[in-house]
Amino acid sequence: MRIFDSGLFWFVEGILFVVVILAARAWAQDRGLPMPIWKWVLFLLWVALAGFTIAFVGTSFGEGEPVAATRGGLLFGLISIIAGVGLWRVLLAGTGSGGEDAVSEV
Amino acid sequence: MSDSLPKGTGQGSGDGGAGVNRRDFLKLAGLAGAAAGGAGLGAFGYAAGQDPNSYLGWQNEEGASLVFNKKRYEVDEPTYLKVGPTSRPDARVEQIFERRGRFMREYMRLRGGGGRGFPGMGGQPPQQGQGSGASAEGAQSTPSSGPVTPESFSEPLRSYYRSNPQDLDLDILNSDELQPMNRADSAEYGDEFILAEAWSAAMGAVGPGPISGPPEVNDFPRGRGGTMPEPMKLVDPAKTAELIKAVSLQLGSTLVGITELNPDWVYGYPIRGRGFENLEEPLEIPDWWTYAIVVGTPMSWDPMYANPNYGTSNDAYSRSRIIATRVEAFIKALGYPARTHVPGTSYDLMVPPISIDAGLGEQGRNGIMITPEVGCNIRPAVITTNIPMATDKPIDIGVDDFCLHCKVCAEQCPSGAIPMGDKVEVRGYRRWKIDTAKCQNFWTSNLGNMGCRICVSVCPYTRKANWLHKTAMKVSANDPTGLTERLLTSMQKSFYPGPDPQDYFMPSLGGKNASYREPPWWLRTEDFIDLD
Repeated sequence: MRIFDSGLFWFVEGILFVVVILAARAWAQDRGLPMPIWKWVLFLLWVALAGFTIAFVGTSFGEGEPVAATRGGLLFGLISIIAGVGLWRVLLAGTGSGGEDAVSEV
Repeated sequence: MSDSLPKGTGQGSGDGGAGVNRRDFLKLAGLAGAAAGGAGLGAFGYAAGQDPNSYLGWQNEEGASLVFNKKRYEVDEPTYLKVGPTSRPDARVEQIFERRGRFMREYMRLRGGGGRGFPGMGGQPPQQGQGSGASAEGAQSTPSSGPVTPESFSEPLRSYYRSNPQDLDLDILNSDELQPMNRADSAEYGDEFILAEAWSAAMGAVGPGPISGPPEVNDFPRGRGGTMPEPMKLVDPAKTAELIKAVSLQLGSTLVGITELNPDWVYGYPIRGRGFENLEEPLEIPDWWTYAIVVGTPMSWDPMYANPNYGTSNDAYSRSRIIATRVEAFIKALGYPARTHVPGTSYDLMVPPISIDAGLGEQGRNGIMITPEVGCNIRPAVITTNIPMATDKPIDIGVDDFCLHCKVCAEQCPSGAIPMGDKVEVRGYRRWKIDTAKCQNFWTSNLGNMGCRICVSVCPYTRKANWLHKTAMKVSANDPTGLTERLLTSMQKSFYPGPDPQDYFMPSLGGKNASYREPPWWLRTEDFIDLD
């Protein structure tokens, strides 16, 4: 349990986050998606939302509040999914017919 | 790093596509990283939710509970409003325990004795010769079975009941119906609370004795040979305040604040057990009650969430009064007068408004103080003194606005004592006012430990100090639009529902002995004691 109070946990989380960002960048490049700063900002906001949702569910279970975990997980999870779909469409906007063409160009 | 790689033809794939090229590996690693990172956040959240260190006030005595930077929320005036001429409370009738003690003595005499139990006094009879005794004006000395009216009582009860006839009905209801019913239900259903009651008895077993003399005797230090020592010369009031706060924290206080004592918060008449000989003479505020130091500790968190029957005020009461008594001794050792005002009922003053003046929190709809650190889960004590100190400013963390819309405590209050409506003027101050008679009647309408404290348990501010609730509170405190408050209130009601308030009552009153949350494992009687 003490691992979460240490800097090591957040160090590892940081490394994982950097890997995710690099992978996203490679994915966007391979698809030929333009990724200006504002798209990155939106992406990071969505990652924060998804991370919050997961942490909220975990915290609520840890507090012995299963109702909060379930209802909060459903609410924030739904918001995350809807926001994710919206983000997906925004990321693919301006690349033709929604991404598949971009992939085939590679 | 990947910019130099040909897209889609990374190195390491030269075996006809059977392997994974570096670029695809990076993308796979990204997916794996996202999954691992998410799992890590979930595990972190779970650990944070379980972490006992987020139960503020129980970690150590080095001020670790001071997790909230109050400086930026300081205001010049407290958030309650002075709206008219003020007066001091008459504790003889406005302090519920004192009034009910007086009521019981006179009412039993009216009814010819035979009553049992004294609400608010741990079942102990009042001391002889104190309060409105047999010689009190107008008190009837012969048994009567006729209707009981305000005229049946001596002053000051008579005048009080004339102005507040509903309180006479509630006091009689408590005596005639609720207490006998409670005894019967306790005998039949009370076994499941044996450990909770033992825990409460243990926490209440240690405390300072009663004050033996009036303030001019009790408050002053005694040097060698009983002479009064000279007060020490102190360097600077600001440094003295720092010293007193540091000592209070070292003595175990979770929070500490200092304010000048507002005379409006001192009782107009003294109450029992405070060293005053005549309780019917107005209390003259001693000159040396210049400052008020407020210390306080929370009730143990897990039992507190299992209110009204498993939690106990005795744990925090005991700790706070021991700390306050020690602070008093520390100040006296420096040659200055000091006097503790400690829970449960050993006060000459009202503690919540003094705590608010000292910057510990704001008044909530439930009538008690809400702090940013531990919400309502705080049992404060006060030390009055004249040792020169710098004082703290009150704070505004948005509780006033929050309570306006939240109303969770009022909705969950089984007795209906917490108002759903607006603030009212009380002795010149606009504030939330609870119906203490209804509140205390519920104390005898449920089983388990004495009291209720549901309003403490359900308050959105009374939450563990982990990332989730600390963040929510800080966002709420800094949102001038009030949108966050509304959102958090909705989430509170949806995510943290409590039982139907009716279920909190004992079975004879149609309830189920419900508690807000399940008790901790160590208070489950059936797991430790063979009840058969």
